[in-house]
Amino acid sequence: MSINYLPPVTHVIPLTTIRRERRLPVPGTVTVRVGQKVQAADAVAEAEIGRRHFFLDIARGLGIPERQVAQYLAHARGDRVDAGEVIAGPVGFSRRTVRAPADGRIAAISGGRVLLEVHGEAFGLRAGFPGTVTATDGTTVVTIETTGALIQAVWGNGRQDYGMMRLVGENSGDRLQTDQLDSDLRGAVLVAGTCDHPAPLHQAIELSVRGVILGSLTSDLIPVAQRLPYPVIVTEGFGHLPINPMAYGLMRSNAGREVALDARPAVAYDSQRPEVIIPLPATREMNLPGDVVPIARGLRVRLLRAPHQGAVGVVREVVEEAVVFPSGILARCAAVDLEGIGTETVPLANLEVLQ
Amino acid sequence: MSTILDAETFLAIDVGSVNTRAGLFDVVDGRYRLVATSRASSTGGAPLFDISEGVRMALDQLRAITGRRLVDESEVLVMPSTRDGAGIDLLVATTSAGPKMRTVLVGLMPGISGESARRLAVSAYLKVVAEIGLMDRRREEEQIDLILASRPDLILVAGGTDGGASASVLSMVELASLAAGLMPEGQRPRIVYAGNRQLAASVVERFGDRIPVTLAPNLRPGLEEEDLGPARRHLAEVIAQTRAARVAGFDELARWSGGYLLPTADAFGRVVRYLSRVYDRTKGAFGVDLGASQTTIAAAFDGDLCLSVRTDLGLGSALPGLLKHCTLSKVTRWLPVDLEEDQVRDYLYNKWLNPGTLPTEPDDLHIEYALARQVIRSALFLARAGWPAVRGQHASAQMPPLEPIIASGGALSRAPRPGYAALVLLDALQPVGISTLVLDPYGLTPALGAAAGPLPMATVQVLESGSFVSLGTAVSVVGKGRLGRPVLRLRLDREDGGGSVEGVVRFGQLVVLPLSQGQHGRLTLRPERGFDVGFGGPGKAGALRVAGGAVGLIIDARGRPLQLSTDPVRRRESNQKWMWDIGGQT
Repeated sequence: MSINYLPPVTHVIPLTTIRRERRLPVPGTVTVRVGQKVQAADAVAEAEIGRRHFFLDIARGLGIPERQVAQYLAHARGDRVDAGEVIAGPVGFSRRTVRAPADGRIAAISGGRVLLEVHGEAFGLRAGFPGTVTATDGTTVVTIETTGALIQAVWGNGRQDYGMMRLVGENSGDRLQTDQLDSDLRGAVLVAGTCDHPAPLHQAIELSVRGVILGSLTSDLIPVAQRLPYPVIVTEGFGHLPINPMAYGLMRSNAGREVALDARPAVAYDSQRPEVIIPLPATREMNLPGDVVPIARGLRVRLLRAPHQGAVGVVREVVEEAVVFPSGILARCAAVDLEGIGTETVPLANLEVLQ
Repeated sequence: MSTILDAETFLAIDVGSVNTRAGLFDVVDGRYRLVATSRASSTGGAPLFDISEGVRMALDQLRAITGRRLVDESEVLVMPSTRDGAGIDLLVATTSAGPKMRTVLVGLMPGISGESARRLAVSAYLKVVAEIGLMDRRREEEQIDLILASRPDLILVAGGTDGGASASVLSMVELASLAAGLMPEGQRPRIVYAGNRQLAASVVERFGDRIPVTLAPNLRPGLEEEDLGPARRHLAEVIAQTRAARVAGFDELARWSGGYLLPTADAFGRVVRYLSRVYDRTKGAFGVDLGASQTTIAAAFDGDLCLSVRTDLGLGSALPGLLKHCTLSKVTRWLPVDLEEDQVRDYLYNKWLNPGTLPTEPDDLHIEYALARQVIRSALFLARAGWPAVRGQHASAQMPPLEPIIASGGALSRAPRPGYAALVLLDALQPVGISTLVLDPYGLTPALGAAAGPLPMATVQVLESGSFVSLGTAVSVVGKGRLGRPVLRLRLDREDGGGSVEGVVRFGQLVVLPLSQGQHGRLTLRPERGFDVGFGGPGKAGALRVAGGAVGLIIDARGRPLQLSTDPVRRRESNQKWMWDIGGQT
């Protein structure tokens, strides 16, 4: 019987090639070149965002009919103007003029009016992790590559940063608590099992932490996490779920190293998802990890639902016949040998490849 | 596309956000029948961004089930069918997958063209991110900045009756044109103009060569006229083109289907509209399609279809949207077990992260279907704002009489027992009077809607063939009373010598009388004073022939609107009891 199910894949890899596109929200200027080595905090591109617009009524300002506006314009569409610069005029004995209220650009001229685009804020796109620029289109996209450990996650609050990773607590399921947050952790990226209270997240602000990696967060804290100034990355889901053993082992063995956090949330029909990158040297060519992995015997998987949500194991066999579960749901399933638990029958739909 | 074709066998493919389904239909004994269905993971999202693999897996499974070769060595569909039984004669396809288009609505008048544009948007797979109108208090520059900040994929412009307002329409068009022109070339939105048709040439001129405009028939050709259908078709083409640019495989599917690639919701609505013409025309026909990334509500009254697609309500990736429409207590009220709100919220967000997962534990099942009820109720509430006032409607809070009620979507079709699905529908929809509840376990409704163009007989014959599961006839009593008070007396005389049943139903009860699928009976109802079962008013008795179903004949005397106890213990006990009474216990 053909298996018509492609499970989702989450990468937890001790050493691999990591290639990521960094993209400006609007076209701007790429400030690096192909082959250039960059650090996490380096700006690789810049643009102006949040431009605002103002209509300047030239006809009214000069006291002339609309049909005469063109002959009094001092600038054309696309021209840059400085604040105070004459845009149209002078007209008449009083030498009436219309001046730019701020630095900007003539965005459009229509019906006796000029649309002035005023400069927005400067936006600098950071590399996010140390690596080498491998490609760019010159205006919007920069591709950076490195080698290192990769831990993909399931949710993030949209921020990015880089810092030294420190584990808080003893085990992968330990709760993040305020009495664990001392000044030794200042400026670090914290790793803890779970968080179910806003207090430690707020206290972490006081310590200027560069990020928090959790196995789980109770969902009532989502709005809190979204307002935090540092990246929050959740590896397993919502509730009280420990960090999966593969990811925890990787973070434990790399404690004290610099890590890059990209907490961008997963978006439908887009490849982006939150992740932790631990740059590490590689002595040989490392292949990019594959993303299409059909379900098969011997595959390492993670359970996405109760019971044993978050548990990791290996597929023993894919069962031919559909099975009725305690809820009454009928589903195709696999027998999975779960670490520390035993063999469980799990719907294929509730499995994710972990590799 | 309505040319009727001659096809002995046809294939229907539906590409959803989570599942890709395929259905194979053949002519058997002179009538079209469903032969086999299959289901596979949809692959339009990461990492493939190509629906082809999901389609291939679904076809492969069909081949394994039927033994019929459907594709050749190059994995191209074999069309037409061959003498050795390989291939098919026709493919129809539907889809609800693909990124939702971020849309800015530019409409002239709130309540008129603005309202029509909004109704059009909710009947297509659009995500409205901003609205601008003539009465907008924001300065023009602020409106331009709003459009730019919204980063729309589409600007839908509506306004002016044909031959009506022109200056104000062109002023709004100018604004939209200015804003679109300020966007970088690769990020400019599509423009659909569905206003005063006499201004079409001026509109195209305003946008110029840089920004192509799709002209659609006016949404409001007259002040009192609204016609969304033609504009919806144009919009569907624009959406299809945008989707094909972002996700591979749609072009090929459109080619295979020879143009019969429809939005799933449109195809679903076609069937509901057809049913409204062939069933009791004094009642409306109704359909709900509960998906992971959207919920479709289709109601048709004597051929007049009201279609609503809410992309912010669904049982998977759209779940967080539910909490913008209601509080969590509206979900937990449906639970038959004691669970903390935190647990329900965590479940909701984990399901959002992994929309394709299934509840294997009883508590999770109850949470899943409590969410399902409330998603449907919220979508229904929003959809009903666009329904016409219907004869026989008791009060604005109550549903109009409906027949039949079709339920589709993965969650409803995989409910553990028919009674569970029936209870979810009765709780969520709270129908009044007498309705037949029908479950679409194989997701055939959109397929038949798509096939209705080239093969109308196929649609009719498959609908009649038993491929849908009738849950049974539901009698929903309208009226209020004390718990335990008699609300009606009934007598069911089963045909074919099946015996009779008589009894009294009391307020608060959910009663099921055995009447299997394929069985019929004559049901006589004598409601007590103050209670209405749909025979023309409270207290009016009547009799009718009823059909059985997988659940049976259901008498819902819990009242309309359904009032759940404010005491959580009593409420859970009621929910448990009703589940038991309708045969939904797992």
